[in-house]
Amino acid sequence: MLDRRQFIRKSLQTACAAGVAGAVPQLLLPPAASAAQNAVLAVRRGEDIPRLVRETLAAFGGMKRFVHPGETVVVKPNIGWDRAVELAANTHPLVVQTVVQLCLEAGADKIQIFDRTCNDPRRCYVSSGIQSAVEQIDSKKVEIVHMDRRAYKELEITDGKALNRWSFYLPALEADRLINLPIAKHHSISTLTLGMKNLMGVIGGNRGMLHRKIAESLADINTVIHSDLTLIDATRILVANGPQGGRLEDVEVRNTLIASPQIVTADAYAATLLGYQPQQIETIVAGHQRGLGEIDLSRVKQL
Amino acid sequence: MRVNRNWRIIVQSLTLLGFLWLFLQTEYRGTDELAYPVSLLFRLDPLALFAAVFAPGDSDLLLLWPALVLLCLTMVFGRFFCSWLCPLGTLLDFFGGPFRRASNSFVGWPKAKYYLLAGLTLASLCGLQLFGLLDPLSIFLRSLTLAINPLWNQLANGLFGWLYQADLPLVSPAADLVYPFFRDRLLAFRQPVFLLTLFTAAILLLLVLLERLQPRFWCRNLCPLGALLGICSRHSLLQRSPLTDCSDCSLCTSHCRMGATAGAAAQSAECIRCLDCLDFCPNQRIAFSFSKGEAKGFDLSRRTLLVASVSGAIMAPLAAAAPLTGTYRNDLIRPPGAVVEDEFLRRCIRCGECMKVCIGGALHPDLLRGGAFSLWSPVLIARLGYCELDCTLCGQVCPTGAIRLLKVEEKRKTKIGLAVIDRDRCLPFARGEECLVCEEHCPTGKKAIVFDRRKVLLGSEPKELLQPRVLTELCIGCGICETRCPVSGISAINIISEGESRIPLRLL
Repeated sequence: MLDRRQFIRKSLQTACAAGVAGAVPQLLLPPAASAAQNAVLAVRRGEDIPRLVRETLAAFGGMKRFVHPGETVVVKPNIGWDRAVELAANTHPLVVQTVVQLCLEAGADKIQIFDRTCNDPRRCYVSSGIQSAVEQIDSKKVEIVHMDRRAYKELEITDGKALNRWSFYLPALEADRLINLPIAKHHSISTLTLGMKNLMGVIGGNRGMLHRKIAESLADINTVIHSDLTLIDATRILVANGPQGGRLEDVEVRNTLIASPQIVTADAYAATLLGYQPQQIETIVAGHQRGLGEIDLSRVKQL
Repeated sequence: MRVNRNWRIIVQSLTLLGFLWLFLQTEYRGTDELAYPVSLLFRLDPLALFAAVFAPGDSDLLLLWPALVLLCLTMVFGRFFCSWLCPLGTLLDFFGGPFRRASNSFVGWPKAKYYLLAGLTLASLCGLQLFGLLDPLSIFLRSLTLAINPLWNQLANGLFGWLYQADLPLVSPAADLVYPFFRDRLLAFRQPVFLLTLFTAAILLLLVLLERLQPRFWCRNLCPLGALLGICSRHSLLQRSPLTDCSDCSLCTSHCRMGATAGAAAQSAECIRCLDCLDFCPNQRIAFSFSKGEAKGFDLSRRTLLVASVSGAIMAPLAAAAPLTGTYRNDLIRPPGAVVEDEFLRRCIRCGECMKVCIGGALHPDLLRGGAFSLWSPVLIARLGYCELDCTLCGQVCPTGAIRLLKVEEKRKTKIGLAVIDRDRCLPFARGEECLVCEEHCPTGKKAIVFDRRKVLLGSEPKELLQPRVLTELCIGCGICETRCPVSGISAINIISEGESRIPLRLL
């Protein structure tokens, strides 16, 4: 039998041990990709979305270039808004579905799809059509999940200019591969929502705060989150009242997909689709300065 | 063997579990329409029926007919609802049990509930509906929504979160294994937080603690629903005999949880047909039968009844003598589909269903915004949560028509308020910093928040800035801008009640 004193002592010891045990495992993250890679880009057009996705990736030699057998993959579409497919506020469900299928074909072991949404997550997952598109794949290796409130962790941003710490969603950082599937959208007057902005969906914290220095903040965030492939959905784009739209008048059909292993390269090309020069978009400039891709499209090799 | 008691406990448990299950279904589950009649509890509630019928405007009686069925059943079987079905009664039996004393000489005021019912009914007829404050079913669901459910989520999430972080061998993997079941079935999608949680919890706790004074203190002395069912029960077909204690035994007086055999009580109205006495009577003298016995009179004091009724009737004009909320404040935002304020307060029975179902966590219980008698009625606190554009759930669950059911297209156009910018705090105005969060989130298709490009002087330095402006005719007051505004504390853009759809323009 324990007496009270022993009980208290034992309890404290256990608590200390648990506390220490909880603090010990530190995250070791690979540094973000450097710009040393040659900037490559693939742009494809077509109306049949599954075929278009396959053609775009075929330019790089297929999904096996990015995903290897046995790897865990996170696919991060934009599911931010409670809007129907045709309103072009979220990534097209067929883009997501085909990319996931390609990952399966490349031998991925586990594929997770998620986004930290702006509207209610449950409504966004349903209205965007992405939940049902993913569930149609019907594979045990694939799951579309809501963000796990336990899995956010505050991390140092070593090279941060606007931020030096922020909360990140660990499953996105810990996966072997992260595939970024943004949709090209107008976003307020002179900013656009593209690849770099899409990765705001795997961070925690009060994201509204970032808008005060949005360009540098996004670049900071992107130095921590490394995506292996950015595939921008411009099958239809939102040209006004973004990023959530809500009117068919603001949607333009472009039947285009843009892919690049470097997030800024893909964003730079996509900006031109919306009628901007990449140099006009502060976020893209900031990302380029951090070595996240090529801003000068004349130096990009189109596949 | 205590056969009857065991049966009753089984029925009570199953009913409670059933209502808890419905409570958990009171949530968006992937379809715009809820799959179950989650507010069944209040469709059964005769007091909700009264509130709806006494209120101006049309009532959907198709929704409330189960309450009439309950009244009819009570006329046949007596006050069985209180002992077999009422979830608050069940909570008091289960959780009050440990507080109850073995013997008790406290008599209480069994007649008080009838006077209370008379007062509430007259007040309600005259325009002040207070049933909701004392309706046991409202107390139950309100406590569940505002206190018990948040507490349960806090504890469960705290534990799962800690086990996840600490990564203990064996225990943490086991917790991870069961977590999806808890997350998907038993826990709220996000931690519920509400105003008035402590206050609501304290009242429930008080009711449980009153068991110390007397078993079922609430049901015996105060419950207005019990009083109503008691009145129906008095001439019910199923009656107990004998009416009072036998001359050689007084076990009934000491054992009956309702004190139904005690001298002062009208036995047939107090007896809740729990059938415990069949078990504890040592001589098997007690019988429940459909024979017409002579019912004992109510023995209410006519004078007190009159005083209670008149007090109730006077409360209404007294309450109406206060200034109308809309004339001196603008922070009373009601859910979309809410009927005009006067009718709203007369219909709302403070059940808390709308607050439970609100997908954005926007609806909270009121304290004083809507006046002295608005307690626990739903108000939208946009800083804490916003009204999701395509969601119509609160109208679906409201049992009394206080919140009308809107079609999605109607809902998108329903103005519950108007966003106004506080230029002293809004970043582009107050500090010359870029910020676009309110415009980004504005959901009205053609946005109700637009930017003006302005040249401003920061000191002597000229800067071009985008400054937000609200388009009054497009803004529906959903409040997402106020929820998401990145300044700390009070938002720099606020929803005020100006221009609500429920107030006809000619009244402004």
